[in-house]
Amino acid sequence: MSQSKILSRINILKYIVLAALEIIIVRLFFIQIIEHADWVAKADEQHTILETITPKRGEIYMMDKGEPVPIVLNQTMYQVVIDPTVTRKEDIEKVVNDYVKDYTVVNLDEVYSQENLRYAIVAKDVPREKAEEIADSGTPAIWLKKTNRRVYPEGELASGLLGFMNNDGVGQYGVEGSLNDMLAGKEGLLKTTADINKVALSIGNDNVRVQAEDGKNVVLSIDRGLERGIEEIAAATINETTADHASVLVMNPNNGEVLAMANLPSYDPNNYTEVTDASVYVNQITDVPYEPASICKNFAFSAAINEGLMTGDTTYFNQGYEIVDGWKIENAEQRSILYGTLTMRDALYWSLNTGSIYALKLLGGDPNSINQTGREKLYDYYHNKLRLGQITGIELIEAEGYIPDPNEGWGRDSTYANMTFGQNLGITMIQTATAFSAVINGGVYHTPYVVKGFYENGELIEEKQVEDVNDQVLSEETSTMMREMLINNRSYRKRAGVDRDGYAIGGKSGTAQVVRDGAYDDTMSELVGSYIGFVGPEGELPKYVIMVKMWGEGQSIDSGQAMTMFDSLSNYLIDYLKIKPGAA
Amino acid sequence: MISQTTYVTRREQQMTFARNRNTVRYTKRSLGSISQIVIVSMLTLIFGLIYVAEGTKATGFDYELSAVESEITEMNAKKEDLAVERARLTSVAAAKNSTVAAAMETATVSCYVAE
Repeated sequence: MSQSKILSRINILKYIVLAALEIIIVRLFFIQIIEHADWVAKADEQHTILETITPKRGEIYMMDKGEPVPIVLNQTMYQVVIDPTVTRKEDIEKVVNDYVKDYTVVNLDEVYSQENLRYAIVAKDVPREKAEEIADSGTPAIWLKKTNRRVYPEGELASGLLGFMNNDGVGQYGVEGSLNDMLAGKEGLLKTTADINKVALSIGNDNVRVQAEDGKNVVLSIDRGLERGIEEIAAATINETTADHASVLVMNPNNGEVLAMANLPSYDPNNYTEVTDASVYVNQITDVPYEPASICKNFAFSAAINEGLMTGDTTYFNQGYEIVDGWKIENAEQRSILYGTLTMRDALYWSLNTGSIYALKLLGGDPNSINQTGREKLYDYYHNKLRLGQITGIELIEAEGYIPDPNEGWGRDSTYANMTFGQNLGITMIQTATAFSAVINGGVYHTPYVVKGFYENGELIEEKQVEDVNDQVLSEETSTMMREMLINNRSYRKRAGVDRDGYAIGGKSGTAQVVRDGAYDDTMSELVGSYIGFVGPEGELPKYVIMVKMWGEGQSIDSGQAMTMFDSLSNYLIDYLKIKPGAA
Repeated sequence: MISQTTYVTRREQQMTFARNRNTVRYTKRSLGSISQIVIVSMLTLIFGLIYVAEGTKATGFDYELSAVESEITEMNAKKEDLAVERARLTSVAAAKNSTVAAAMETATVSCYVAE
């Protein structure tokens, strides 16, 4: 080969090498400059873990003999996951038959009949032991995914109060819903270099590890044994009547502490998806305003007494009805012996609407008619002092309710006449019971609460989550007078031997008509029965307030049935809480 | 190469009786460029090896940590299971349905002792 030919080939080779170098340089330029971010992302994807650290959801406790006991817990469960394009059908069938038959949530034939399906959850809520057995079996291409399940070991107990946690890990209804942020805690963040098995390594400059903040373990003021006993009594009572719903509230009137809150029918929060009537999720005590009827006479009477305008011995003429704004408002009780001059104590005993209307008239300074002053004063007591139609501040989902304005709207006098016996307004049971507590505890309004504190390191840390308004809204004299009248209301229960000697037990009933087509149903085909009362040793301030509400779709439930439940509950409370009788 | 020079100290300059006395001074030997490259390379290599060794050691700790964390998670899961089981066994419904409860009689209050 000639020298020139060799040189020519070397030149060609040189150009080829140069061209190749140029291509490489251009490609490197693209990779390192133009596509830099994409390649960094791809590299990160391969050796970087970026995940949120899930905090542990706080547990919920109730009190039992002075000690917190868990009633809502967490449990790690597993899902069995497959990729149908990779997992052999016979393998997963064997796993299902051998380990998770009871937890299977899909039909495998259907799963494998779908084209291009890459992800299928075969079984849910698989316990740890089963998951370990599956892992030990060494079956290929089957994955176990950890999940957190909320466990309610007490089943249906206080379900309306507790609520539940849904599949997204979010609390719904009850304490789970209202205290969701507190229970959920705060997520953490982990961003770190990892090896091929996704084991986090400490090498690298951009590692981030923000620890998760676990949710707080909330201790409720509810007494577990008392709650169970009350739910059993309520269930037994409604089984003996045509009612199909009942709500019961027990609280300490002297500090607003709620001790029991029962809603029936209940449901099992462990299986909340099986509920067919979503209304059972709703806490009827805090979230549903209603008309408690004659229970409100306590508030109208308290207002007039507190203003120094009447006592239990004040008399008025009862003709069995009143005409207000052209409407005839009648008493439910029409016995002939009640016509004529009666004391206000008798009016409360017989629950006469004319008596509470008379209290409203007295508030206006004119015993013969209802006027603006009377309406405004009643509004002041109902809304501003006793905080009816306002949220109480309890740590639960609450409805506000409403109290009509004293100077707006049509038929204001008749509206306010109705309000004296608990109609034409909307208030919740918790508002009613809290206001009633102020009426009988010496006149002090205490904000109700259901959270006693937190459970940390095996200890109860008492820390109220509400600010107690602690407002003296009525005088002690008014409260004393009301207690005496309410105890008098139950004098016949004492004579009948229902109320035991040595105890001061007072109460007031309320039977509410329901509204149909914009007006009260005078046929009384459907009624809501309520009863509110207090229990304590004779000669002392009441220790407990009990409120009962019973109703049923299309059923006429009067307050007598609610009172029967109150009778059982008050005696149960005396026994369960070992309330000693007072000196007569 | 050693360079030699003769010099007279100030003291000797002042000491006329020490004439013709020679002194020797050695100049500093400097490394050649190749030697410098070799030494720097060796040092870099040594530091590199130390870095890799430490990195490997740290990664070893990471694996240990990961194993311990897995164990903690596992133990916590077992603790949760036991807590749930305990709560179920001590629930009031379970207590009420127990054979012990079935054999019990309803208590009645007969009297209270005055304090």
